[in-house]
Amino acid sequence: MEKLNNPSEFSLIFKYALKDLSRNYHKISSIIVTLFISLFILSAIFTIEDSLKKELNDNAKALLGGDLEIDYNRNQGNLDLVDKVKEFATVSQMIEFSTMLSTTGREKNKSLFTRIKTVDEKYPLYGNVVYEPIGAYERMQREPNTILINESLSKTLNIKINELVKVQDQNFKVIGIIKSVPDVSGFVAFGDWALAGKQTLEILKLNGIGSFLNYEYKVKFNQNDKPEEIEKRIEEIFKDDQKVKLRYPENSASGIKRIINNFSQFLSLVSISAMLIAGIGIANTLLSFINQNNMSIAVRKAVGFYSGNIKTLYYLQLFILLFIITVVAYASSFLIVPIADKYLSDGLGLNVYPVFSLLNFLKIFLVGLLVLVIFSIPTISSIDQVKASNLFRNVFQNLQFYYSKRSVVLSFVLLSILILLFTVGSEQPSYSLGYFAAFFICLIVFFLLSKLIIFFLKKFKSSSIISLKVSIKNITQTKSITPITVMSLGLGVTLLLTLALVGTNFQREISKSIPDIAPDYFFVGIQKGEREKFEQGILNMDPNASIEIVPMVSSGIVKINGLDPNTYIKPDNDSYWVIGTERRSSWVENIPEDNPILEGKWWDLSNPNQLQISLDAKVAKDLNIQLGDIFTLNVYGREIDGKVINFREVDYRDLSINFAMLFNPQFAKNIPHEYLATAKFNSNKFDETEMLEIMPSLSMIKIADYLSKVTAVLNKVFIAVTLISAVTIVIGLIVISSAIMVQGKVKEYQNLVFKILGFSKKQIIFSSLIEFIIIFKSVILIAIFFAVIGSKFIIENIFELVWMFDFKVLIYLGFSIGFVTLILILLTNLKYLNPKVYPLIRNQ
Amino acid sequence: MSTLLKLKKINLKYQTGKDSISVLKNIDLNIKKKETVSVVGESGSGKTSLIMLIGGLEKATSGKIIFNDQEITSLSEDEVSEVRKKNIGIIFQSFYLIPNYTAVENVALTLELNNFKNPEKEAKILLDRFGLKHRFNNLPSQLSGGEQQRVAIARAIAMKPELILADEPTGNLDTENSIMIANILFKYVKEEGSSLIMVTHDPKLADKAKRKIKIKDGKIK
Repeated sequence: MEKLNNPSEFSLIFKYALKDLSRNYHKISSIIVTLFISLFILSAIFTIEDSLKKELNDNAKALLGGDLEIDYNRNQGNLDLVDKVKEFATVSQMIEFSTMLSTTGREKNKSLFTRIKTVDEKYPLYGNVVYEPIGAYERMQREPNTILINESLSKTLNIKINELVKVQDQNFKVIGIIKSVPDVSGFVAFGDWALAGKQTLEILKLNGIGSFLNYEYKVKFNQNDKPEEIEKRIEEIFKDDQKVKLRYPENSASGIKRIINNFSQFLSLVSISAMLIAGIGIANTLLSFINQNNMSIAVRKAVGFYSGNIKTLYYLQLFILLFIITVVAYASSFLIVPIADKYLSDGLGLNVYPVFSLLNFLKIFLVGLLVLVIFSIPTISSIDQVKASNLFRNVFQNLQFYYSKRSVVLSFVLLSILILLFTVGSEQPSYSLGYFAAFFICLIVFFLLSKLIIFFLKKFKSSSIISLKVSIKNITQTKSITPITVMSLGLGVTLLLTLALVGTNFQREISKSIPDIAPDYFFVGIQKGEREKFEQGILNMDPNASIEIVPMVSSGIVKINGLDPNTYIKPDNDSYWVIGTERRSSWVENIPEDNPILEGKWWDLSNPNQLQISLDAKVAKDLNIQLGDIFTLNVYGREIDGKVINFREVDYRDLSINFAMLFNPQFAKNIPHEYLATAKFNSNKFDETEMLEIMPSLSMIKIADYLSKVTAVLNKVFIAVTLISAVTIVIGLIVISSAIMVQGKVKEYQNLVFKILGFSKKQIIFSSLIEFIIIFKSVILIAIFFAVIGSKFIIENIFELVWMFDFKVLIYLGFSIGFVTLILILLTNLKYLNPKVYPLIRNQ
Repeated sequence: MSTLLKLKKINLKYQTGKDSISVLKNIDLNIKKKETVSVVGESGSGKTSLIMLIGGLEKATSGKIIFNDQEITSLSEDEVSEVRKKNIGIIFQSFYLIPNYTAVENVALTLELNNFKNPEKEAKILLDRFGLKHRFNNLPSQLSGGEQQRVAIARAIAMKPELILADEPTGNLDTENSIMIANILFKYVKEEGSSLIMVTHDPKLADKAKRKIKIKDGKIK
């Protein structure tokens, strides 16, 4: 843009900008619509993310359950140390465990693997437990053998208040239904769970591994104490206790925060793509708009306006438009929050409220401004091509995008700022950068494709079909809009196909049946002496059942090569779970069939006194473990050094027995252990409740139930992906329509000349059709190629699911997109197909 | 000479909102084969509308137009296109060349439409005849007004039409170019035996035609 000479000149231009905008806004309606849709989506993502994070931060103490959490994992811990804390702060003890909960007194009783949380009178230290009926929570603390269950459990087992349920060999009376608990950060958010009083533990037989026991102590500081000082004091008390983990409110809900960040990053990237595609549409529409104003621009130049002034006039109109649209889009995004609130309060027990953030508003405005300026630079620069002398020559001159060195540099700088805005501070900056790189590679490839189409069609000359000749001429003519059509159509179709493939892969994961090798049930909590009893119990019900029983021991990785891994491996590492808490491990004689060795050798039988470790290859890669590395494991309080001697390929998705760590049986068989078992039945005679009669402390996990829970979560993700795809489809179609509109006046004029020369309507429509088919068939092939690569990367690396090529979907979608686009093209072209002669001849 | 074109009680009305404007009123006109006719009149009198009706680019509100014993007012749009493409060449004041086609391509288009074997070769011969050999591959924007009009004439006569309709063919040209265009047009008509109906404000050009028709307020005077 050229500099303005003085403020009065600026105010004059501002006046004209307002006047022009108020009279011409309907001519740029597609800019308004695409900008609004893309800014609205971006605003909605930012607003919900912000509201959610604010909710998590505001309730960090409630989510954690206190000002500080002392986590002893599977052990009761050092109660003397805990007592020391009680001297200067309030401590609430809670223990979580998993066990079977069954209905009683029915003709056919049902059982469910349930997480139970026992709490003392001090719980919750922050926030509230929402339940019904009134007084039930207090009764649970006072009366033994009472329990509160959550809504999901109540629905799944159809349990009513005052009904008796059985946990192990004890009956409990359900005295209320819980709607929500504040500390969802460390507790289960989805699924079936219950609350019980602290006395419950004493009457149940709980074992360390099978019950997935977890001991936690929540601490609330006294109001007048300084939190930093108390924190230091507690850290000092526990400094020598290696089994304990201290957590602070800022670490609360870190898992949820990570999911939110990942998901909002994915949605933001899709929305910025939609916005960049919208940008192409904006450039097209703007060019069409400027072409319509060709004459008035020439007149303005003739009466003394500088080219720079006229360009400023257009930039100002866009700026004003953008400001209004951003305000409306940002305000409208608040309407989405109640929907998100319903969605999240059902799932996570979190409530989100619309939060106005000036920073977010400015960020959205800046993104809109950057996209708008980047795409309008070559368009508005075309104003330089309009000459006042055009007024003396009555030849219709269609303006073209104009690139000067200066404008290219400026566009590049602005684009870099846009990329940085979405990359810096994102959860996975490398993914964002990779995404933008892929976007621009696609853009370049589609540009080159357009040039290739033009090159080959120029060579193709012999045709007696006039419509084909006209369409080839239209594609190959100098200053043809083929490149812009191929790029916008190509990017749009690529994004649509990519999201469609992501969506269908999601859908497949959701609807897929249980893997063939997966068992029907997992059983945990089989004690050393109960193995035969368990096997007999199963075989009595189904003699043909196939049972697999493996030993299981709990151990924690204390050191890797002498160093505490927690000091250098961060929680955002994909395999942090292996070192985060104690893991269950097992031992086997031979290499498991579905766990092939990728590196190293199987057990060294000549060294039975050495603990040898077989490690999941992905974990090894994520944690940078080499063969020969030494793990110091804490097994029942004893530290044992083990050597990593091989890496196995472990696919947890086959739902069979899989462990990250396997030990050599020669060494491990002497470690105190219990058993993990799976069973696959040949009949439906297996009865969970009957099995519980035989082994009351047994826990059973039905794979079908587990999958249905995963399905519920994936379904919610799928809805979000589908919604954002739908938005991109709408934007893509608007862009294609705007690309046709750029040609509108030229087409109308051309069709008029054709009509004068004697072309039939059929021939004109046929030439449009051929033009579309030539472009679309080339675009769709490249788009499918990119969509396959893109969707594979997203599904496998971001969502960590199995990607599968779906030819049917691609064909179906390719034809659908082609058909819809063709209809849109014909509809948009309709008004240009049969131009009214009189107004055009009269230059109206 | 036999009659090429007959206009019987032709009326043309345009609807502008609630109002109806009568552009042509009860026009009766006969044009013989090889006849040259100039149509003169004030601006807005209906001259161009008359040409558009004859060319089948506009539908008459009432009346009949008979071209070569065929009533074209009762034909469909595509049928009229067929008549036009073979028998009628139209020249405009504003040339109406396709901006992204070269001079040769603009002329060849008509020939291609009529399935000529070597349309580009024929187009070049025509353009050469009009002194545009050096402009074969130029776009309209690279041509002067006179050159553009010569290309437009070449396009109009490429199919050797029986009737040429010209709407102010020299309206956008200087005197020198106007004379040149007029000479080309009349020379061609004479040589090829086409009929010409030419709308013009230029009295000298109008006088070149054998017959002069004056239109006033939509009526032939």
